[in-house]
Amino acid sequence: MTDVATARQPVRADAPAGGTKVIEMIGVNKWYGEFHVLKDIHLSVNKGEVVVVIGPSGSGKSTLIRCINRLEEHQEGKIVVDGVELTDDVRAIDQIRRETGMVFQSFNLFPHLTVLDNITLAPIRVRKWKKSKAEERARYFLEKVGIPEQASKYPGQLSGGQQQRVAIARSLTMEPKVMLFDEPTSALDPEVIGEVLDVMVNLAKEGMTMVVVTHEMGFAREVGDRVVFMDAGQIVEVGTPEHFFTNPHEERTRAFLSKIL
Amino acid sequence: MALIPPRPAPVPTSGPVYWLRRNLFSGPFNTVLTLVTGAVVAWALYNLATFVFVDASWEQVWRNMKLFGVYRYPTQYLWRPLLVAGVMLGLMGAMSGVAGRRSIIGSAFFALQGFVALVSVVAVLFWPSVRFLWPMALAIGFAGYLVGLRWPRVVRHLPWAWTVWLVGGAVLLLGVDSGGPFGRVPIRDWGGFLLTLILFTGIVPSFPIGVALALGRQSKLPAIKYFCIGFIEVVRGAPLIMWLFIASLLLPLILDVDANSLPAIMRAYVAITLFSAAYMAENVRGGLQAVPRGQSEAARALGLSAWQTTYLIVLPQALRAVIPAIVGQAIGLFKDTSLVFIVGLVDFFKVADIVSVQPESLLVTGGVKLEVFLFIAAIYFFFAYRMSIASRQLERRLGVGER
Repeated sequence: MTDVATARQPVRADAPAGGTKVIEMIGVNKWYGEFHVLKDIHLSVNKGEVVVVIGPSGSGKSTLIRCINRLEEHQEGKIVVDGVELTDDVRAIDQIRRETGMVFQSFNLFPHLTVLDNITLAPIRVRKWKKSKAEERARYFLEKVGIPEQASKYPGQLSGGQQQRVAIARSLTMEPKVMLFDEPTSALDPEVIGEVLDVMVNLAKEGMTMVVVTHEMGFAREVGDRVVFMDAGQIVEVGTPEHFFTNPHEERTRAFLSKIL
Repeated sequence: MALIPPRPAPVPTSGPVYWLRRNLFSGPFNTVLTLVTGAVVAWALYNLATFVFVDASWEQVWRNMKLFGVYRYPTQYLWRPLLVAGVMLGLMGAMSGVAGRRSIIGSAFFALQGFVALVSVVAVLFWPSVRFLWPMALAIGFAGYLVGLRWPRVVRHLPWAWTVWLVGGAVLLLGVDSGGPFGRVPIRDWGGFLLTLILFTGIVPSFPIGVALALGRQSKLPAIKYFCIGFIEVVRGAPLIMWLFIASLLLPLILDVDANSLPAIMRAYVAITLFSAAYMAENVRGGLQAVPRGQSEAARALGLSAWQTTYLIVLPQALRAVIPAIVGQAIGLFKDTSLVFIVGLVDFFKVADIVSVQPESLLVTGGVKLEVFLFIAAIYFFFAYRMSIASRQLERRLGVGER
């Protein structure tokens, strides 16, 4: 019964009233060729909120957050980030990207640059900071993610966990208003996942606005304000972590959680 | 307690004897094979050495060094190309002094000095007009090296020094109309190895053009994209010889200008440059495709513009990946410059042909064709092989930050 209802009426993942909305997606649809990959997405995120997106692979969750900074283009609907609507206007896109940090599953550090150059590149070129300021901030964030001593190494000389922490520091140095995490721990060895999650937990506790696509339910439970479950390109269920892990409504949610918990 | 009795040492598993036994004499069949092959190789080498050191008559090669070097460039002006070469050696020497003997530039410099030293010996013995100029070029090279070693701060002045060298060198080679020691030498009189080197420098402008074509090929604007694809495919679709013909014969007709208004060397230069650019574009494209998509996504996500992403993130990685291909292309182009004889230019290769049919050469029993071509083969090989060494060094050095 509920299944039919959700199929007709999209589930709205609206941020709690009273907050300042940083991200707003209204009726977003996207196709890859003929394949309908995002269906009627309504999602908004308040300042300081941590939203965790879960779901089986192929459910569109990566595509969803990649639409927020226009790495993917949506075809219908409206996306507003920090008061700026995403259109074809290059300046609007660039402005949104400046204020949006993104951490990828495969780190995507620049292998030909040292850790420090990886981090200071965008602040110097995009924010037009002086080199000294950029390096000072870069070292501050390297300290914060716990690897200040690796500044002059190349990414290839670091472990996966260290690389991902550099990637986080690289995004943070741009002082973004929102951080997007696209399965940040999925490519990591099990014993180093913890060090990356610790950094993310601290970030969340400091009040960073975060949208996190992940399979780490422990993280969702500890710092998530809301959990969004996606399947087949649509939002199936939204709720607090307690709601999800104790009493999910939807059959598909239960089936998914039973497999991964 | 019983003493352990001494045992004989184990059969060595390293060293030349072990290597020989393992690789060349590891069974009766391999032993026979080794002996037969060794005999054939030794016999061939013996014959070659007999020819080179006993039977060959190298005199015609040494006597015609000027033709090989510059062809018709006037003898009284020979100090000019040699000064250009000397200053180049001096600047390379200074760079080597700063960077160290084992650096890429340092090892190239010393190889080149070795080459110049050999030529100097030949010049002292057989080439009276520049008997002292060649050793002086050699000396300038070493002087530059010592300067670089002693005062490493000269490195700051090298960029403009190279610029002065480039512009001044071109002016000096060309001369001015007023005559005297700086008399004009028209470009059509340039030839020999000088011409080969000048045509080879076509690889330099072909590099940015090739990169631009490769990037243009990926452009979203159809006009740019299809122009680049069309250019690359058309140019690659015909042999270099044909483009040399078109550049030297058809182009003046198509543009309806006097065939003499553009020197033949310049027409050939443009043809070689554009031909090389088309191949360069395909090499660079291979490199661009080797850079993972995530790299440009990460750069764009940080707010870098499309252009910044290309030249700060994608191109450096793409070009590093294709260094071997680019050097391979440079080596190929260096040798392909010999095709310009077809449009009447006399480069290093053509000089060999000319020398081998000189009356003096024909007086030599058996002719000197073999000697002359062995000589130019050795020189082509020296430069091609040096480039290949430099490429390997460069790859190793840039490998630092590899994933």
